[in-house]
Amino acid sequence: MGAKAAENGAKSSSSAPSPPPLKAFFRLKTKQQELLIRVASLALIYVLAFAVRLFSVLRYESMIHEFDPYFNYRTTLFLTRNGFYEFWNWFDSESWYPLGRIIGGTLYPGLMVTAALIYRLLRFLTFAVHIREVCVLTAPFFASNTTIVAYFFGKEIWDSGAGLVAAALIAICPGYISRSVAGSYDNEGVAIFALLFTFYLFVKAVNTGSLAWALASAFGYFYMVSAWGGYVFIINLIPLYVLVLLVTGRYSMRLYVAYNCMYILGMLLAMQIRFVGFQHVQSGEHMAAMGVFFLLQVFYFLDWVKYMLNDKQLFQSFLRITLTFAISVGALALGIGTASGYISPWTGRFYSLLDPTYAKDHIPIIASVSEHQPTAWSSFMFDFHILLFLFPAGLYFCFKRLSDATIFIVMYGLTSMYFAGVMVRLILVAAPAVCLISAIAISATVKNLTSLIRTKGKAPLAVSGKGSSSLKASAKRSEAQALRFRSLESAEAQALHFRSLESAEAQALASETSKAHEASADQSLPFQHNCAIALLVGAFYLLSRYAIHCTWVTSEAYSSPSIVLAARGAHGGRVIFDDYREAYYWLRQNTPADAKVMSWWDYGYQITAMGNRTVIVDNNTWNNTHIATVGRAMSSYEPEAYEIMQSLDVDYVLVVFGGLTGYSSDDINKFLWMVRIGGGVFPVIKEPDYLVNGEYRVDKGAAPKMLNCLMYKLAYYRFGEMTTEYGKPTGYDRARGVEIGNKDIKLEYLEEAFTTSNWIIRIYKVKPPKNRW
Amino acid sequence: METQRRRVAEEMAISIQITAVLLLLITGGAAGRSADDLVAELKSLRSQSPSGVIHLDDRLVSSFLTSVGTPRPYSLLIFFDANQLRSKAELRLPHLHSEFSLLSASFAAHHKDDASSSRIFFCDVEFEESQQSFDLFGVSSVPHVRLVPASTRSLRDSIPMDQSEFSRGAESMAEFLESKTKISLGGAILRPPRVSLRQVLFLLAAILISAPFLIRRILDGDTLIHDQRLWMSLALFVYFFGVSGTMHNIIHNMPMVLPDRNNPDRLIFFYQGSGMQLGAEGFAIGFLYMVVGLVLAFVTHLLVRFRSISAQRGFMLVGMLLAYWAVSKVIYLDNWKTGYSIHSFRPKSWW
Repeated sequence: MGAKAAENGAKSSSSAPSPPPLKAFFRLKTKQQELLIRVASLALIYVLAFAVRLFSVLRYESMIHEFDPYFNYRTTLFLTRNGFYEFWNWFDSESWYPLGRIIGGTLYPGLMVTAALIYRLLRFLTFAVHIREVCVLTAPFFASNTTIVAYFFGKEIWDSGAGLVAAALIAICPGYISRSVAGSYDNEGVAIFALLFTFYLFVKAVNTGSLAWALASAFGYFYMVSAWGGYVFIINLIPLYVLVLLVTGRYSMRLYVAYNCMYILGMLLAMQIRFVGFQHVQSGEHMAAMGVFFLLQVFYFLDWVKYMLNDKQLFQSFLRITLTFAISVGALALGIGTASGYISPWTGRFYSLLDPTYAKDHIPIIASVSEHQPTAWSSFMFDFHILLFLFPAGLYFCFKRLSDATIFIVMYGLTSMYFAGVMVRLILVAAPAVCLISAIAISATVKNLTSLIRTKGKAPLAVSGKGSSSLKASAKRSEAQALRFRSLESAEAQALHFRSLESAEAQALASETSKAHEASADQSLPFQHNCAIALLVGAFYLLSRYAIHCTWVTSEAYSSPSIVLAARGAHGGRVIFDDYREAYYWLRQNTPADAKVMSWWDYGYQITAMGNRTVIVDNNTWNNTHIATVGRAMSSYEPEAYEIMQSLDVDYVLVVFGGLTGYSSDDINKFLWMVRIGGGVFPVIKEPDYLVNGEYRVDKGAAPKMLNCLMYKLAYYRFGEMTTEYGKPTGYDRARGVEIGNKDIKLEYLEEAFTTSNWIIRIYKVKPPKNRW
Repeated sequence: METQRRRVAEEMAISIQITAVLLLLITGGAAGRSADDLVAELKSLRSQSPSGVIHLDDRLVSSFLTSVGTPRPYSLLIFFDANQLRSKAELRLPHLHSEFSLLSASFAAHHKDDASSSRIFFCDVEFEESQQSFDLFGVSSVPHVRLVPASTRSLRDSIPMDQSEFSRGAESMAEFLESKTKISLGGAILRPPRVSLRQVLFLLAAILISAPFLIRRILDGDTLIHDQRLWMSLALFVYFFGVSGTMHNIIHNMPMVLPDRNNPDRLIFFYQGSGMQLGAEGFAIGFLYMVVGLVLAFVTHLLVRFRSISAQRGFMLVGMLLAYWAVSKVIYLDNWKTGYSIHSFRPKSWW
């Protein structure tokens, strides 16, 4: 929809000079035309990036997705109601009962503060919005902003054409959309914007050597630190980049100014975030930045001495002594710091990125999470599609025109690509880099090809009148191909831009292109022309496939809220299961305000946010023992479980059950993790007791302990009386496809309180002790 | 004097032995030697091996286990080994055996001369030379580790170590040992450092001495690292490494190819189902990913320098075909693997 509009816009502006009546009206100079097209396509890209993320709102409703966003939403609500200082000092007694959680000191506040500020601004402008709408739309809004940053970044690295293509690519890149659809109100939504913005400002600072840009990048870094733990990537990539520049002999005063200002101010600002605190000077992960900082000082000092000393021989020996001294002092300081415990060693998470096999051997809790799995090639294909093919070409182009800025983007691309290979979720971090580098490839290729087409026959390129006619021709041709992809416009804009650059050819493209011009100019080649057209068509075809793929993936894979489940019924219609919210609202309306609810940790955030009740454990898995206690209760027999629940003051127990609907990520399927985590702390729980010959079963052949543990009883209570499918016996579990093994379940210490309409959530009340009530 | 005293001692020892044998015979025991004797013999066997792992064969198994009455004065932790299966990578026999030796050596180091050093001994048994022993224990598969506690009468009742209990190496074996025998290891597993202290010092000195020279050359700008091509090929390698899912293969220890179950002669190169992949599959796709980009780079930056027009045309055509083939192949394979394809939904009224 946006694409069509864009086409019209581009057409009207590009055809502006030709028709006579309009001529007087739109007498724009070439540069103005180009600017108009560029701004128009950027505006359309901005809208597109927002619009493509609204599938979930249109299909379901405006709501928060998944698990973590509910916590963010709840804290934002608190922030807008009680103000920033209350928020900063908030001790939350509703989660991790009876321990509680210090919220202000254990979260990155950037997201909440941003949403609250937008909310305040809208209120100030007298827009009567609810805070939930603001939260739902925060991620798409920041995705739109990211496209603008990508444009400027691309312009800084290559040229404005590459910038436009990059903006278009990142607007619909599935790798990025996966974490920024409407409703996914999570840290990553704003963090990717902050990440790219910081990088852009830093590259700008290095290119200009201006203090103002360096200062801006320090503030960008501060925003990133306040928003996401992934800031560690920035504070390691930038020093690495500086180091590479030093090693390859690209040290300059600009670099010195940019890095020092950004590091010192960024560090001081970052210390203001309580969750980060003094890590910048104390943890091993941040030491690289500090080391490079001191190295830069040594470089500067040496430069100065070299300037003062005229004798070259003398300088060489001085250099040797200084370097030896500096390196040994640095190594000594690091050694002493680590040995004395002042500098903390690397955390397991960080270490597992550098040595990927580390997590598997040493931290099973990290290795077990599905988004921490290493990436197979099909996931790359799913999230990047044709960008993957263009990436190596882009790398090649960058190396052919090496500058401080292209070195940066190459390093960003490669490091993030490596990390994306280690963990699926880090594809998100790689997405902007892949888009930028691929944009360079597309932009440079299309530019070469269009220039080839235009040189045909008539040589004079620099004449602008000819240029516009050929542009028109190319516009018509591409219309004929009916390609509805934005980079079409950007390609045209680029063609325009190219013309404006012609006059200043010396600085323009790499010398190879001009050689190509010469070659094609002296030998008139009919086939070359056709070839170029064929290639251009091929490129546009690929890009259109990319657009289709992205829209499809967004609509089918990344836009489900996972709190409302949808399935296709037997007749092709959509069936909606809204059981989660039904259960949480039931809790809110029908239980005492101080009731404590026990459930597996996955549902903790949702229960506190929507049910407004106290939970024992939630998704912030900071206390393993507490989680293990819940796991132990779930996997014990009822009397033992009752004792544990009494000690935790539990009033209600909530389980998720998919046996009736065939919903497979329910508590029975998660049960082995409860056993494992419980057994990790309490050795009375043994995994083999729940398995039969290493096999996990719930039917008649299941282990006796399995058939009588609390989780089994709560999930299957009275399920044995139920017929779920025609032609199957009663108590047939559709999620696992078996008839359950224990149909006659009697509960002694608990009673059924509520079961949702599709049985997905079942809530039980813990009975009071027998002789007291 | 000396000889006389020794002879007296020997005589005493013999008489003690005789009485012991007599006593044992009287009590109906089948053992031929005293408890202290057995322990002493085990100790001497232990001292012969550097890691303290005693190599048992059928004869020794019978003399230390089957022919000794319970309770024995010691427990044995036995590692069942098979030389013919050591080459099978998935069993990891050599690795597990070295972990087992490490456990034994650490135990010896922590209990130099105290009482617990004679309460547990670490042994291994080899399949080909002691098949009877394997039968006695009822062991039919390796890797297998068994603890024979002091009180176990029948060897089949001894406690086998679970797969999960030895898969994490010496540390988890130690946990098993501590929980089953109540004998503490008395400290951490002593792993030999990868580089010894002397090597570290030497390396450090070498780096310190060479650093100024290296850095000077770097400043002058005439080293290998100033070569753009090196960096470029490294960059392409990192890209290839990332997108071909090599990390996935390393972490999950994926094999290159799988044998087909239905047809043993054929090999499976591609695994259907997203989230999993085989080694060869990843490399093939990574190569296809690279081809298109490299062809593009070749066409735009190298081909234009060619003098001959027909060569240009020829390469161009080949490049286009190659790129088309690679892209369509990847998309076809991806659709096949993930079972995902773009299709449109018809409105209900059309049915």
